[in-house]
Amino acid sequence: MTAAIEAHDIHKKFPNGPYALRGLSLSVRRGEIYGLLGPNGAGKSTLIRVIAGLHSPDSGQVQVLDHTMPDKNVLARVGYMTQASALYTDLTVWQNVAFFAGLMGCRDKSAIEAAIEFVGLLDRKNSLIGTLSGGMRQRVSLASVLPHQPDLILLDEPTVGVDPQLRFQFWDHFRQMAARGITLLVSSHVMDEAERCDRLGFMRMGQLIAEGTAAELRDRAGTNDLERAFLHFAEEKGVDNHEH
Amino acid sequence: MNTNRRSFILARRVIQQRLADRRTLALMVVVPVVLLSFMGLLIRNEPGKLVVGIVNEDQGISIAGATFNLGDRMLAVLDGFEEFDSQSMTAAEARRKLDAGDADAVITVGDGFTQQVIETNRLALVVEFEGSNPMISDRLTKLLERVALQAANVAAVAGSPMPTANTPNTANTTGVETTIESRYVHGGADYDTLDYMAPAMIGFFVFFFVFLLTCISFLRERVAGTLERLQATPIRPREIIVGYMLGFLLFGLLQGAVMLLFTVFVLDIHYAGNLINIFLVEMLLVALSVNLGIFLSTFAQNEFQVLQFMPLIVVSQGLLGGMIWQVEDMPGWLQPVSRVMPLTYANEALRDVMIKGESLLDVWGLVLILIGYAVLFVLLAARTAGRAKI
Repeated sequence: MTAAIEAHDIHKKFPNGPYALRGLSLSVRRGEIYGLLGPNGAGKSTLIRVIAGLHSPDSGQVQVLDHTMPDKNVLARVGYMTQASALYTDLTVWQNVAFFAGLMGCRDKSAIEAAIEFVGLLDRKNSLIGTLSGGMRQRVSLASVLPHQPDLILLDEPTVGVDPQLRFQFWDHFRQMAARGITLLVSSHVMDEAERCDRLGFMRMGQLIAEGTAAELRDRAGTNDLERAFLHFAEEKGVDNHEH
Repeated sequence: MNTNRRSFILARRVIQQRLADRRTLALMVVVPVVLLSFMGLLIRNEPGKLVVGIVNEDQGISIAGATFNLGDRMLAVLDGFEEFDSQSMTAAEARRKLDAGDADAVITVGDGFTQQVIETNRLALVVEFEGSNPMISDRLTKLLERVALQAANVAAVAGSPMPTANTPNTANTTGVETTIESRYVHGGADYDTLDYMAPAMIGFFVFFFVFLLTCISFLRERVAGTLERLQATPIRPREIIVGYMLGFLLFGLLQGAVMLLFTVFVLDIHYAGNLINIFLVEMLLVALSVNLGIFLSTFAQNEFQVLQFMPLIVVSQGLLGGMIWQVEDMPGWLQPVSRVMPLTYANEALRDVMIKGESLLDVWGLVLILIGYAVLFVLLAARTAGRAKI
């Protein structure tokens, strides 16, 4: 079986943007949780946007589920969860989840209900988003990418601003989803989340500087701490640690 | 620290925030000046000349061996009024010009006019008004009363055994009784300013609300990040736009229907139109308002900046779009500005449909222009909806 995401030599430059992608290649296998790790400004969001078809790369090629991006049709099999909880605050939990599900071609009420139940918000399904806490909104955001049963979910810093307990729950959710055969690409700048990924990619200044399981990366760097491992690979690449 | 000091600190922060938004600051000063000058120009503007036609079929009579034809003298009387652009024409020409709206009123002088006036001491001015603008009809009626008096004066002088100097006189000292027999192509004597303004107001409010709501909705969609999420689904930019149009069409038409019912049944305005035609024009108006709103939301970073569009886009069209003042009467250099505004055409179309009872085929030119604007704004909005992050 081919990879879920195959990105080859992606270059992307914004006219006034602080970051860009500089010849990045990446392969995410089907059914795995791939963690994209790196500091703010490393280009993680840009890469995810390119994969989601929101940006066209300047050069290079991206294939998602065997379709060359950007391709609107393949997006019905993908879920995209952004950093900000991008929801309609004047609508209810149910209305929000049903709206995004509908655009993905899913009108099955039981699937919508199951998604809301999955994130534990069934008792709040008729609450307006505006009345929910930040953590709850983040859970609604996750629920809204589930009903159409995507093969691939892209999660751009899904646990930013989420308390430790909820973060733990989120990773449980991700593991359950992966067990169902869903591929997950998760970006984060928190290293301790990395342990729960099948494979990791360290990103820095628009490039992938190292790739492997958490254990492999630690071994190769000769340390038992992922944060130190990251610094090791960053120095190896010969770029200094201070971004700007 | 006392209260005053804390208030000063807060005041300083307010000032700093406002200074950070230079665009708002500039608009606060520039917009009122521009709008005030428009209003000054419009209110102080000399109204254009009234086109008054005269159809003269008078045979005249002979008095003391000479032929006296009062109809012929009427043209000279009309020419004496600088408010008039008086034109002599045949009955057929008069009909055509009135129907096309090229004449404001036509006076018909019948063949026995002179004789009747001299014999009965009664002067009845037969006038047909174009009538679609009650303000013009009112002004005309007042002026024509003076015309009738002057004509009566001419007749009295001619009819008296001892002719005296022919001096126009506005006081009725002649003993000739004057009346005006009015007929109207559109509307009637009981049409007032509200009848003229109501159709345009329906259009204006539909535009105002639909534009504002779309602009804010789409701004939020962009700022909250839901637009980005939409773009990561199979929905295409054109489908987003059609969705917005369908959604707002419901409210636009509902609002239009309520206003129409209210003006017709509560405010008692005259109404000769066909509901379907009015709704079709309104649908076009909703379509262009939605898309203009989506497009202009690109140029706002927050709701404050959306409000800045109000004077620029909404109030200016309210003043210059022909809702209150006729575009034809505006100063020459201002008319092209009006002619750029979509509401000018919507107002004209709604007025023709509602007051004159015309069909969409009769106003096809205006409808075509509105469709053109709608298409232009759809293209601009599609770019906005398709663009990733601003």
